[in-house]
Amino acid sequence: MFDFIKGLGTTAKYLFKKPVTVSYPEVKRPVRERFRGRHELKRFESGLERCIGCSLCAAACPADAIYVQPAENDPLHPVGVGERYAEKYEINMIRCIFCGYCEDACPTNAIVLEHDYELSFYDRKSAVYTKEMLLVAPDKGHGEPSPLLLNLNRPPNPPAQIDL
Amino acid sequence: MPDVTLTIDGKEITVPQGTGTVEAARAAGIEIPVFCHHPKLQPVGMCRMCLVEVGTPKMDPATKKPMIGEDGKPVIAMMPNLQVACTNPVSNGMVVKTNTAEVEFARKGVLEFLLTSHPLDCPVCIKGGECPLQNLTMGYGPGVSRFDYADKVHFQKPISLSPLIDLDRERCILCSRCVRFEDEIAGDAVLGFANRGRGWMIQSKSNPSFNSKFSGNTVDICPVGALMSHDFRFAGRVWEVKPVPSICPHCPVGCNVTLDMRYRDIKRVQPRENDWVNEIWLCDRGRYGYHFVDSPKRLTKPLVRRNGVLVETTWAAALEEIAQRLAGINRGYPGTVVGGIASGRLANEDLYLFQKLFRDLLKSSNLDCRTGAPEEAEHDDLAYAFGLGSGSDLSKLGKGTSVLVLGADPEEEAPVYVLRLRGIKRRGGELIVANGRATKLDASATHTARFRYGFEALFMFGVLSALLEAGAENKTFSGERVKNLGMLRQALEPYNVGAVAQQIGVSEETIRGVATSVAGAENLIVMYGREAIAAGTPLLQAIGNLLLVTGHVGKANNGALPLLRYNNSRGALDMGVRPDKGPGYTPLPQAGMTAREMIAGAVSGKLRALYLVGSDPAAAYPQAAAALGKLDLLIVQELFMTASAEQAHFVLPAASFAERDGTYTNSERRVQRFRQARDAVGESRPDWQIFATLGRELAKLLPQEQMTQVGKASAKPAAKGQAKVVTQAAPGPRPWVYRSSDDVHAEIIQNVGIYAGLSYSALRGQAGGVWGRQATHDAIFYDGTSYANTEGVGAQWPALAEQSRLAFDLVFSKPTPVVADGQQFTLVAAARLYDDGTLMQPSELLRFWVAQPYVGLSQPDAQRLGVESGDKVRLTSQAGQLELFARVDREVGVGIALVPDLETIPLAAVQTGVVTPVRIEKVA
Repeated sequence: MFDFIKGLGTTAKYLFKKPVTVSYPEVKRPVRERFRGRHELKRFESGLERCIGCSLCAAACPADAIYVQPAENDPLHPVGVGERYAEKYEINMIRCIFCGYCEDACPTNAIVLEHDYELSFYDRKSAVYTKEMLLVAPDKGHGEPSPLLLNLNRPPNPPAQIDL
Repeated sequence: MPDVTLTIDGKEITVPQGTGTVEAARAAGIEIPVFCHHPKLQPVGMCRMCLVEVGTPKMDPATKKPMIGEDGKPVIAMMPNLQVACTNPVSNGMVVKTNTAEVEFARKGVLEFLLTSHPLDCPVCIKGGECPLQNLTMGYGPGVSRFDYADKVHFQKPISLSPLIDLDRERCILCSRCVRFEDEIAGDAVLGFANRGRGWMIQSKSNPSFNSKFSGNTVDICPVGALMSHDFRFAGRVWEVKPVPSICPHCPVGCNVTLDMRYRDIKRVQPRENDWVNEIWLCDRGRYGYHFVDSPKRLTKPLVRRNGVLVETTWAAALEEIAQRLAGINRGYPGTVVGGIASGRLANEDLYLFQKLFRDLLKSSNLDCRTGAPEEAEHDDLAYAFGLGSGSDLSKLGKGTSVLVLGADPEEEAPVYVLRLRGIKRRGGELIVANGRATKLDASATHTARFRYGFEALFMFGVLSALLEAGAENKTFSGERVKNLGMLRQALEPYNVGAVAQQIGVSEETIRGVATSVAGAENLIVMYGREAIAAGTPLLQAIGNLLLVTGHVGKANNGALPLLRYNNSRGALDMGVRPDKGPGYTPLPQAGMTAREMIAGAVSGKLRALYLVGSDPAAAYPQAAAALGKLDLLIVQELFMTASAEQAHFVLPAASFAERDGTYTNSERRVQRFRQARDAVGESRPDWQIFATLGRELAKLLPQEQMTQVGKASAKPAAKGQAKVVTQAAPGPRPWVYRSSDDVHAEIIQNVGIYAGLSYSALRGQAGGVWGRQATHDAIFYDGTSYANTEGVGAQWPALAEQSRLAFDLVFSKPTPVVADGQQFTLVAAARLYDDGTLMQPSELLRFWVAQPYVGLSQPDAQRLGVESGDKVRLTSQAGQLELFARVDREVGVGIALVPDLETIPLAAVQTGVVTPVRIEKVA
């Protein structure tokens, strides 16, 4: 009998406290900074894509969720820096286990697991996120290229001008 | 050579004298990292990666004997500095240390230096993943560099060396593997170094740039991503492709390749190591000529002609109707009015079922693997009797071997043979090139003989006369196994060396020199090509006589090696796709019509139905195009909508070599298996499957007594008994039911004598061999881009002469040289590797190398005609006319009109026979 009242007392106590639950989806709980949610493909401040289509993310992926099809950059109308960019970049979100290995493997910090966790699909096909869906808007820059990448994009030096 | 015993890292090993230290260590299973060294090339010691500590036994100056230390072992004097292991040959008692601190320090230093000028753009580099520089840096390199990252050497990113090959000069580590490959192996000195210091770079020295048919191999052996295939540029990363073993379908060498697949796409074609066929090399046609497989022009659905136009239909409907019409046409005149032409491009399984369809079901031997064009010669039977012996290995031959290349241009007909022949010569063998015109192989020859066109046979008679005159025949052999040497002596009397030399324009010394070389050789191979085969029976008989008289038949590394037209022309003859002989060269009681007779029969009405498989007579010569239109039934089975297919009543789409299993037989009679790499385009089906289904349909329609025959032919035990009770719907032992190409091949083994024992498992049985790769890190030597052979190396069927007791008759017939009269020229169609044919056209990159149409004339002839290079001339023969631009060519003989054999030149318009005399006049 006493236990019963004790239990009700606990209930009554929490009745006047601030609830720990939030009423999702109206209210969203902020995630930790290092939370691994849906991937984004980043750009440089110039608007060029960071991804160079090297497929290292796909190689690192333990779930084989990433498909990259590279193509050659047109020097006059470059999509990214360097010689190559990803013509197709697809992540199958059903396969993905959000381990973040792709992020680790990326030599240009192009792929980043961001904070979006709202991933639901009506069919399997729509679980495959294409490059257009993953790529951030052009005005959302993400830092400048590394010296390596700047070198890749540099104007050609004629050999005669090189210090011997 | 005597063997040498040395110690490497405490391990004692015995190797032949002259072996380099790197190779000795490799044989001992000890890894010495290298960049510039390659097992197939001469060592140069350019990269300094292989530095090791070397010591030799200390000699007592007084006694000149090794000093013995207190422990009873020889005293070793270590050299004060590190030595380069690749150029240092081993010596007795030598001690090599590959893993001391000093060696490791030196390797770190070398790599640090190499990387100072390397851009480190591995993520965008095509070589990334199979790159020795990456691997060795991971294995032996320093973790960090002390050099300024910003101070790297920079060049313009990839420049195009040729349409096929790109060069990224800042990645190059200047190992000179590519230069040495082109100089030593390919014999095209087209690459070299330019500048010095930090401006040092690889450069093409030829015009057009990088003019070599083997340029793709330099990409394979490049230890960094400096040389790149333009075709594979950013097509995917190397670890993403799945290699499927296959056989190159372009020429009779039958190079082992892998198709590197990414999902459904062929991303690149790489050589697969097979020392018996292609070592680790591949020509550019084979490497970049695969695009026909995914050409959008491929046929995808069966077509039937309704009211004059071809419309799509289903397989079931098409095959049922074909069967009915074929059976209907065949009913009144069994076997006489139907015919089939299949090209030597098909696999053995297809060809076998094709001839079975005609011989068993339609009772017809109207079969051929030629198109019937006027320039086509007789079928080659020489290799059946005296073909290169089983177990021949051209990659090992050297001193004591003579190769006579007769009327052939291997570089254009079967390119990888150039590398192999040059290899024989490099190892000390003799290479005799006898031709009517200059070929690139002349430069590599030890003897060259340039005879007048039309006198090929006379040249051989001269050599034979010289041989017999000198008494150099193999007396033991010819005594035992040659029946009528006397006849030959008699027949050759009018062809003594002097008379022949005068007639053919070759000096007596040359002929005698060739005879001496041939007679003195331990091994003799006679390679003959398209022009020799065109010279006809007298020449082929003379080749046979030469081999018999000198006793060079029926054993390994000896015999005749014909370069036939297509990749599986040999298989087509083996399978009996010819009118005069059945499968396995079994004689037939009655020969059927040849292709030429069939085309003529189509005009005269003797032939009413024709089945063309992979063969396009309409495009080959104009008479055929007209003849095909007169047929009651024309069935064309093809990859593409060819000129013949345009006229067909039924067009059946076939699957390409990458979309099916099968076997090809190469020019050395080696049967090799290729595998399916992807699913077929559209509804196309493998050829053997189409024949099998058609066979089932036909069997339903045929009368009962024929069914019994079919049962017998299928050679299954229960066949005879069950065949009697069959109903029409379901033939008893289910002949013509094949689940896969294995079933067809199993039947070939059973029914074609010469293929006995060559089952799929036997073809696969020998994987690698003694030359196969070593277990330790051979990727460093081969760079991981040419693949180890896991599919087996195939197997040869033995030539007739290999049966040890068989004796042969010498046969001799007089040649009837067709020599153009004073005013006329002999038209020579020179074989071209890049022929711009249907299988090559879809490979856009290769088309750069297709020659412009021209007719080559000698300087005196051009002067006489008043023609200069670039003038338009008209070639007139009995058959017709052809206008071409003239090119004055030093290499062309007097009286010769040399025209490259390209699909773009309608040569058939003027050709009247194997040799065509033409008149030439300048067009104003």
